Amino acid sequence: MLLSVKSLAVLALAATAAQAAVVTYNWNITYVTANPDGLFERRVVGVNNQFPPPAIDLTLGDTLVINVINSLEEPTSLHSHGLFQIGNNQYDGPAMVTQCPIPPGGNFTYTIPIAQHGTFWIHSHAKGQYVDGLRAPLIIHNTNETYQYDAEYTVALADWYHAQHADMLAQYLSIFNPSGAEPVPQSGLINQASDVKFNFVPGKTYRLRVINMSALSMFHFHIDGHEMQIIEVDGIDVQKTTVTSFPITAAQRYSILVTAKNDTSSNYIMHADMDPAMFDSVPDDLQLNVTGTIVYNAAASLAPIEYSQWDPFNDATLVPVVPEATSEPDQVFALTAAFSVLNDYINKATFNDITYVLPKVPSLYTAMSMGNLSSDPEVYGKYAHPLVIKHNQWIEIVVNNNDPGNHPFHLHGHVFQIVGRGEGIYDPSTPYPSYYNTTNPARRDTVLVPSNENVAIRFKADNPGIWLFHCHIEWHLQAGLAVTFIEAPEVMPSVLTVDQSHYDQCKALGIPFRGNAAGNDGLDLNGANLGPDPLTGKFTAKGIVALVFTIISALLGLATVIWYAHEDDAQIAADMAKAKAKANREEEAN
Amino acid sequence: MALQDYFSIPIFFIIFREVTEAAIIVSVLLSFLSQVITDDDAMRKRLSRQVWAGTGLGLLVSLAIGAGFIVVWNMYATNLWAASEGIWVGCFSLVAVLMITVMGVAMLRTNQMQDKWKYKLAKAMDDENARGLSNQSRKYALFLLPLVTVLREGLEAVVFIGGVTFDAEPQSIPAAVIAGALLGMLIGFAIYRGGNKMKLHPFFVGSTCLLLLIAAGLVAKGIAAFEADRWNRLTGAQSDDAGTYDPRVNVWALKCCDPKQPDAGWWSVANALVGWSNVASYWTVGSYILYWGVVSTWMIRSKTRRQKAAVLSASAERPLLASGDDGRVSGEDDDADAYRPVIASSSTLPGGADGATRRHDGYGSVVSGTGAAAAASES
Repeated sequence: MLLSVKSLAVLALAATAAQAAVVTYNWNITYVTANPDGLFERRVVGVNNQFPPPAIDLTLGDTLVINVINSLEEPTSLHSHGLFQIGNNQYDGPAMVTQCPIPPGGNFTYTIPIAQHGTFWIHSHAKGQYVDGLRAPLIIHNTNETYQYDAEYTVALADWYHAQHADMLAQYLSIFNPSGAEPVPQSGLINQASDVKFNFVPGKTYRLRVINMSALSMFHFHIDGHEMQIIEVDGIDVQKTTVTSFPITAAQRYSILVTAKNDTSSNYIMHADMDPAMFDSVPDDLQLNVTGTIVYNAAASLAPIEYSQWDPFNDATLVPVVPEATSEPDQVFALTAAFSVLNDYINKATFNDITYVLPKVPSLYTAMSMGNLSSDPEVYGKYAHPLVIKHNQWIEIVVNNNDPGNHPFHLHGHVFQIVGRGEGIYDPSTPYPSYYNTTNPARRDTVLVPSNENVAIRFKADNPGIWLFHCHIEWHLQAGLAVTFIEAPEVMPSVLTVDQSHYDQCKALGIPFRGNAAGNDGLDLNGANLGPDPLTGKFTAKGIVALVFTIISALLGLATVIWYAHEDDAQIAADMAKAKAKANREEEAN
Repeated sequence: MALQDYFSIPIFFIIFREVTEAAIIVSVLLSFLSQVITDDDAMRKRLSRQVWAGTGLGLLVSLAIGAGFIVVWNMYATNLWAASEGIWVGCFSLVAVLMITVMGVAMLRTNQMQDKWKYKLAKAMDDENARGLSNQSRKYALFLLPLVTVLREGLEAVVFIGGVTFDAEPQSIPAAVIAGALLGMLIGFAIYRGGNKMKLHPFFVGSTCLLLLIAAGLVAKGIAAFEADRWNRLTGAQSDDAGTYDPRVNVWALKCCDPKQPDAGWWSVANALVGWSNVASYWTVGSYILYWGVVSTWMIRSKTRRQKAAVLSASAERPLLASGDDGRVSGEDDDADAYRPVIASSSTLPGGADGATRRHDGYGSVVSGTGAAAAASES
């Protein structure tokens, strides 16, 4: 029996209605000076003059209200990563997709009904601002948790850079970086700090909510001397799966159960090893192995450190506790991710040779103001890479990774089923060869597609809105590795409400908030933001002219050689005779 | 496998040219012997053997030095230059260009080569008062002359090859050397048999054209190497073959036709012959055009100056011109029975620069314009 996410959410809400609360956070986004890795003090983005920003803690059924004041010198916006935002697309957060960003000095309130539970995080979705520190765990407790445990800790992993993100972005997206090498972080953090300790009481069972809030890094997580049982992945409870280590890419989350030992003689190291395969090069002074400490007894010594092999781990083998069968897809999209130098001579990312460029009007406002034309992908602009899907259709995406790097792909507004993995590039004109044989495939919202492999994912389009699908390596999102799903545009006006505060914010920034991607009516896309295209690799006019001149110069040169070598006897004799005759005449004249 | 992995075209041409000149020397000397020594067969055979011996020894010694030089060069040089390979490749390319250009243009004066040799022979054999020549030397003149000259030509070739060999795979050298040598010997044999009826002039003009095309291509390749080095430093590229280029100066960048690909086929031949590349910049195109401009200008100036000099000396009424010779300036049509030194409006020493009207020809007399023959005919 198929239980849709939405009906589950409604049921859950009904069940918790009695305890539902409005949980308000007042976030004044400010600059702070901090030194979280102990190596370098720098300006970071914090909340209420604090760094790291505080975690958000909620219970299923609550309504989350965040009153944001932007005290920065640049625009900002907040995306609650993993929250479905059912009927609430206008508060999803990505700038120029569902809203204009919040202007410096401006304020904006996010109101989000919470219809799910698990481990999530909230981060800036304006350019790459979250890399400068604006990110925090967002924990939603179930009223009745599936699994029993005594206490819980949040373990938020992240890579850390010393330079400002804007400076690094300018160097990353530059003609002098034709290989597209991403900036390498200087260190790694746990809970945006270092030397973090977690107290364990013997015999108790702890839930560790492991989140990866990185810009780039993938971590391998393991705890010396302790086994781990995975119980939740990206907000989906799963059947207990025992592992000794597991990989976690940027934006993914896992909850694990760890049972404390029965004695307090030793403390143990918690390992979060950054995977060097993600980095273009590994500097000598980069400490890849980030550690925290499980403390049984402050006075105890550390147990010997285990340098374990990282286990290979296929998250497709996880079994959700609440089953959801898959279905034959109504539409299949094959998206091939690749990187190359485009005709702006900057190494950019493409899906099917199109690089993502922000439209002039946020895509949601285009959908809400274009009437019947909102179902025509043209109005969203070619370079927003719009993919229109109909309400309640089953959608399958096969993501082909045609790049030597590994990429974690994230879909806003949904979890998706992982229905197959394969090698190489899948050709959509052929049947997909490697579906999993299961009636309850693993579900999550961020999936790793390793280099030169593909992954098939499915979801039901039951959530009208504009949902971004993109690589969650922040550099790659800025380089354009994104598409926009236009989900059920025909239904949006009846389901979504965009209040005036949204449009006022656009006005404050001088950004148009009606019309197509160029801010015009109808299908007139003159003035739309255009992206670079792939290089043609053919001659341009300049090239042909240059080639012609080189050929002419060679031909003239060769002609000169032939002339030079030609001893024109007759000519020289004639010259000499002429000279002789002239000399004779002069002599006679004298 | 690309053609130039197994056959280095520049080396082929250099060897070919040097062996051809050596062959010319041998054929001239042998013809001279058969013309002059008509009665004494034994002496003729003995002197012929001297010619062969001198030439052969000269070639052997040159080859030995050459081979040794190339081996040592490749062993040490290629490893030393790895770090800034682009700059070294660029520098050596330009040096090679200079040598090939000068040599190629000099080759055009080969018409005078035979006459020069005949003149030298005349001096060596008949001049009782020749400076510095002892009886012994004169007796072995026919051995020493070819030996010294071939040695000099050979060492010249070695230096030229050193300039281009950095670019060549070691396994491309033997085939090119053998082919060049064989072809050169073939030409020499043809000259000997066919006498002076051989039309060598178009042949030498053609090979010079080819050599200069190669040199022009080398200019572009050398400049490209400098550019690549600089761009790789700017972009922090790990390897030289990053395949990227500076877009600010780029003129064309083709997806196809890359001579560096393993399946490049004719494109890599084009790269060896004319310096073709699928990526070109203002610098490479500009330097290519500039090379032709400079070389053409040099040749035009050189020839017009020579023509003026010829006219000037004609109007100064040198005795030789008054003798009734019709001022023939080419030795091309000399017939076999008279080694009459022919007036050369200037005779260039191989590898030397042309253009001076007064020059020391190394045999103790000052030659200028048409003076060479004057000195010869007086002896």
